[in-house]
Amino acid sequence: MLTQAEFDQILDDPSKRIDGDITWTNSNNTLWSQFRADIITSSDHDLFIQGSYNPVIPALSYILIYPAAGCRIYGLDLGKDHRNPDGRLVGETHKHSWTETFRDKQAYAPPDITAPASNPVEVWQQFCQEARITHNGIMAPPSDSQLDLFL
Amino acid sequence: MTTALCQHVAETIGQLYDCAEINNGFIRIRTPYLYPDGDIIDLYWKEKDGQQILTDLGETLRWLDGQTANQKLSKRQTQALEDIRLTHGIELYRGTLTLRIPSDASLADGLTRLAQAALRTADLWFLSRTRTTSSITDDVAEFLSEKRIRFEQDQTLLGRSGRALKIDFQTWHPRRTSFVEVLSTGSKAAANQKANNVLATWYDLSQYKVSDQPIRFVSLFDDTLDVWSSENFSLLQEFSDIAYWSRPDEFAELLVA
Repeated sequence: MLTQAEFDQILDDPSKRIDGDITWTNSNNTLWSQFRADIITSSDHDLFIQGSYNPVIPALSYILIYPAAGCRIYGLDLGKDHRNPDGRLVGETHKHSWTETFRDKQAYAPPDITAPASNPVEVWQQFCQEARITHNGIMAPPSDSQLDLFL
Repeated sequence: MTTALCQHVAETIGQLYDCAEINNGFIRIRTPYLYPDGDIIDLYWKEKDGQQILTDLGETLRWLDGQTANQKLSKRQTQALEDIRLTHGIELYRGTLTLRIPSDASLADGLTRLAQAALRTADLWFLSRTRTTSSITDDVAEFLSEKRIRFEQDQTLLGRSGRALKIDFQTWHPRRTSFVEVLSTGSKAAANQKANNVLATWYDLSQYKVSDQPIRFVSLFDDTLDVWSSENFSLLQEFSDIAYWSRPDEFAELLVA
């Protein structure tokens, strides 16, 4: 079980970085696009980040996965609401953050994410800043062809 | 009392659903149901050419995709999804859960069916092997039990260096004893390190291979995740037999050969 101290250490670690450009793909012909990128750290933490974007809604997620814990430990969602374990609604822009009690079920409304879900690149920049991730590369926006609707 | 209760239910349950128009002529129906992490399940309604369609616009499978290191559904998850599709009469299209509502059917019935399908689909997360660190070795243990191959898990052995080394499995068969190390990670960045660690283990235990009854070393790769390079395989091939978790029967044959 991931401890709070270990999670805090991972999140506060400023050495987290992604090298290389990020490209959104749609390999399974789904409505949404996605990418995955390894995170390099100076510590031993084995981490990767996953993004997914559904342009129809629009809904966007950037998720930090820690395989040693077997799940998401941190993540930003835009485009769908969230209810915390205490019953309170958080809002359509919310961040999940690991706690020992609730794992990743507890979310909060992040004041630093101001870009809309329809702008994944700007949201990415804001997300990286708060999550202390340096991206040495470019994120291209999802291509227009992915916006095809089925209706 | 029963009548009053039923009337109360009839009058209030609808208030738990909230509607709003979104892009492309869809109406979003916010349900009272939650994904396992507390995110709210939204469904989307649209009418075109007289046909009502209710869909999740792919959000359930997108949610599921984002929860674990696995990038595709396992065989068990796929079978369960097919069962969900049959039970609730839904269609899978481009990753969406979709329901066509006949003109004589009620929207409430469709909403309930699709919401239940979304809930059950999201719960496939509980079948995900990468959900917890120990689950892959749990799956291997379950598989060995099914194949009636005797084994001990997390065996500690003394290496040539004098270090105590823990191996994932030691298996016994009338023809052969084997040591099995399971290699699983969700990240390419960690894959090399994992392979190096297993190589060091095999090297340190190499005295077991030269005895009268040599023990087989098996490196079992969890290749359901595309994180391994050809170098990882060739590195371990020199010191061990390679097996792939996507081909469990071949792994079992190796242990009994």
